[in-house]
Amino acid sequence: MRTILSMFAKSPFKPLVSHIDQVNECVNKIKPLFDAYSSKDYKKVEEIAKDISKVEYKADKIKTDIRQHLPQSIFLPVDKRDFMGLLSAQDDIADAVEDLAVLMRIKNIEIPEKLSDPLMDLVIHVVDLANDACSMIRELEDLLEASFGGAEAEKIETMAANLGTAEYEADKKQFLLAQKLFSLNDLGAAELFLLNEVIKKLGGVADQSEKIGKTLHLFLSR
Amino acid sequence: MDLNTFLMVFAVSACIYMACNIGANDVANAMGTSVGSGSLTFKQAIYVAAIAEFAGAYFVGGHVSDTIRKGMLDPIIFSDAPIHLVYGMIAALVAAALWLNIASYLGWPVSTTHSIVGAVVGFGVTAGGLDAITWSKVWAVVISWIVSPLMGGVVAFLLFRFLTNQVFRRRNPLLYAKKILPYMIFLVCVILANAMFYKGLKNLYLDLSFAKAMFYSIIFGVIGFLVSKPLAKKIPDVPKKEIHNQLEATENIFKYLQITTAFYIAFAHGSNDVANAVGPLAAVFSILESGTVAMKVAMPSWILALGGGFIVFGLLIWGRRVMETIGNKITEITPSRGFCATFAGATVVLVCSKMGLPVSTTHTLVGSVIGVGLARGLPTLNLGIIKEIIISWVATVPFTGLLAAILFKIMLFTLS
Repeated sequence: MRTILSMFAKSPFKPLVSHIDQVNECVNKIKPLFDAYSSKDYKKVEEIAKDISKVEYKADKIKTDIRQHLPQSIFLPVDKRDFMGLLSAQDDIADAVEDLAVLMRIKNIEIPEKLSDPLMDLVIHVVDLANDACSMIRELEDLLEASFGGAEAEKIETMAANLGTAEYEADKKQFLLAQKLFSLNDLGAAELFLLNEVIKKLGGVADQSEKIGKTLHLFLSR
Repeated sequence: MDLNTFLMVFAVSACIYMACNIGANDVANAMGTSVGSGSLTFKQAIYVAAIAEFAGAYFVGGHVSDTIRKGMLDPIIFSDAPIHLVYGMIAALVAAALWLNIASYLGWPVSTTHSIVGAVVGFGVTAGGLDAITWSKVWAVVISWIVSPLMGGVVAFLLFRFLTNQVFRRRNPLLYAKKILPYMIFLVCVILANAMFYKGLKNLYLDLSFAKAMFYSIIFGVIGFLVSKPLAKKIPDVPKKEIHNQLEATENIFKYLQITTAFYIAFAHGSNDVANAVGPLAAVFSILESGTVAMKVAMPSWILALGGGFIVFGLLIWGRRVMETIGNKITEITPSRGFCATFAGATVVLVCSKMGLPVSTTHTLVGSVIGVGLARGLPTLNLGIIKEIIISWVATVPFTGLLAAILFKIMLFTLS
């Protein structure tokens, strides 16, 4: 027998968290990927890249699942477009990480000595930033419970602001790294192009992560 | 067995059947949010419901029966052949109970009140034509059906908004929840006590005027306040920075409130819906006893006790299973949200039944759940199901009306 409780559909916020868990797993593979690359362990690069693809695929499946189970007839406490935007933002992070892994499988190149440290610095910065973005999604349940207000909302606002600052710093690091890259004269065209793409993609991961903060900010402002 | 005895036995059986269905169908809806949020285990919910339903039915249940029995139907048309009214009432009981049984089977949370009203109108029209029905009363009832979910929704929406601002959006929600707890208990006690004292408790000869009832209710409320205040103070504090733990502790406080309101809604349901089963029986009883259609019939206590008793029986036998499924299902409702929906629903039902309007507990609750959802209180609301529910609501009156008319004709041909 059905009761009035059937009015409560399954909360789509829970799968959103399972989705971000997969995204986070992708993000956490960035550092090992670069470690393997700079130590020229290309077999390991291949391995990690494949892992990333697998996890990204899992995230993709969850995303499709959420989209299919979010019919028109469902009422959410947030704007449905914002919700979908958040899901896309999450998925874009995983996509960016996958793109990064693909780029690094195209050609085995040696990272110039001069770039090594600032590149790893950028990698760590981007990974931290993306991790922070993921942990924001894990606050969603509390945010819902607090009715999008109170101390929890302040916490989210602060996190979003910090994310913005971190993204700005990532941009700066990215710019300086690009400058360093193009000041190297002994680099082949392929190396130059590929490394530039990698740096740009890293920046992309940061950009997509920042979007999570922006979307959650929208949740609060409506 | 002479015809009168047979009819009386038949009517009592039909009333029992109806009461059992009411217990099975509605109680799960009334108690569902408390079980779903984990405030009560399904067993505790059964006990609370059993006690509260019976108390509500027995002590306050007398009012709504008037509207169903006499308000909508003009008894004058039956004065030549009072026995026809007996047939009709039995037909109405059987039709409504059958519909409830079917609806439970199909999983539609329909209203017991709608079912009986539809059935009474159905046989009334068959027996005496369109003029037999006091349509203005029927319209008042119909309007109350639309109004009750709306009122449930509005009250729940406002209550949740109030709690949002007063508790959840504070930096220290636990502190404010502890502060608000005794006041909420006060409110519940006052409304509950007022429902019992004002025009209620006829069986205990406690029929007080509104002013007197209010006076005693407030005393009752103050007692509740004074008892809960030190208890609220005892709840351990959680550091402000641990937001998650703060929210969790806050929800725990609402668990107590929800248990109180679970009693409250079951009481309101018992007081309101028992009439759907016992109203027709009381009419049958008075006609068979006196042989005439009386304008005013007293509701014998034994009939109220019978109705209340079998509502409890129905919920123990059938409602139990439903509650168990709810208890095992993960529902996306927390005690605070459940409290708002239940509190709003119960208040609207009690106020309406005091005014003599036979509103539907189920409809009011559906309205109040939507109200909480619209106030951004629920992670989702399945509007598709709501459409389905509304369709089953609309189907109720024509179905029971038609069925009661057919049953009435059958009885007319076979028994006279």
